[in-house]
Amino acid sequence: MKKITLLTSALLAAAITSGCAQRSVVQYGDAQAVETTDINFGSTDLQKIANQMTDSLLVSPVIGNLTQNNHPVVFVERIKNKTSEHIDTESITDSISTKVLRSGKFRFVDMTRVNAVREQLNFQNEGGLVDPTKAVQFGRQVGAQYMLYGNLSSIVKSNQDKSDVYYKFTMRLMDLESGIIEWADETEIRKTRTKQSIGW
Amino acid sequence: MRTNTRNKSLLLASSALLALALTGCNSTPPVTSGIGAESLPPKEQLQPYLKVDNADLSDKLAISDVLNRKSQGFLEVNVELSSQYKKSLKLQYQFNWFDAQGFVIEPEKSNWQPVVLHGHQSIKLHGVAPTADAQTFNIYVREIPAKAYKFD
Repeated sequence: MKKITLLTSALLAAAITSGCAQRSVVQYGDAQAVETTDINFGSTDLQKIANQMTDSLLVSPVIGNLTQNNHPVVFVERIKNKTSEHIDTESITDSISTKVLRSGKFRFVDMTRVNAVREQLNFQNEGGLVDPTKAVQFGRQVGAQYMLYGNLSSIVKSNQDKSDVYYKFTMRLMDLESGIIEWADETEIRKTRTKQSIGW
Repeated sequence: MRTNTRNKSLLLASSALLALALTGCNSTPPVTSGIGAESLPPKEQLQPYLKVDNADLSDKLAISDVLNRKSQGFLEVNVELSSQYKKSLKLQYQFNWFDAQGFVIEPEKSNWQPVVLHGHQSIKLHGVAPTADAQTFNIYVREIPAKAYKFD
């Protein structure tokens, strides 16, 4: 009887002390997998927004007509962040413009690099180091015909047991000459966090 | 009498171990297999183009229709997903796109998209190829693991 008790306690002690220790492990994950670490704006939300906006833009019949014989030049205005979180909206803009550019429908000009371009052209034209016949000239850039812009807003609600966040992303393409909005779309995301009872 | 006590102790020991095993450190990797489908030619039977890697999931979920068309030069796809389960399913799906030679387009850039399917609900998943070169596609659906994602 004693032996059995001893054996039992030894087994239990072994089971408790082994295995359950916390240790940190570093490993590579899948950058494309759905991420549900917390309720804040995450990589899956960014990818979902970029996918839906690009898909909608590419299959829109109006855009089909605009891009039938040429590849219009677009400039992307930074997405306005109207949510209560800090979100790098330039990253959303980058994802969308990269996808649209790679589809071959539009061409883009980058307003965020204007100062760097000006500096380089100044160096080429006025620095005295570059052969004037091979220097890139001022005033030859192509102006954008369209402007892509958007808003990201959120509604956040929570009580003791549940948190809920709703994101709405709206995007529009405006003809800069006429001011007409040629295309618009929006996408919504709802995320909830509830306390789960322990289970398997 | 003595045998009885021993039996009791054994029972106690085994139940304690069982409880520990159930509650203890569950470090098994999540199930990441699912079900899938490939693009099928028009008027073809769907069945040969389906892929079932996870029998448990395929009991609850079925791909019931696959449609595709060219829209503004881009391959556009609708895949009907129907639940045969009374509870909600938390799923993720991924499209992959291939050109005429079977090469993958934009490799490793195809995101898994989350989708919640309510009990016995049918939805159409919508996908558009990233470039006009895409001729065929495949789709894969799997569950979102309830626990933190591990790649063991």
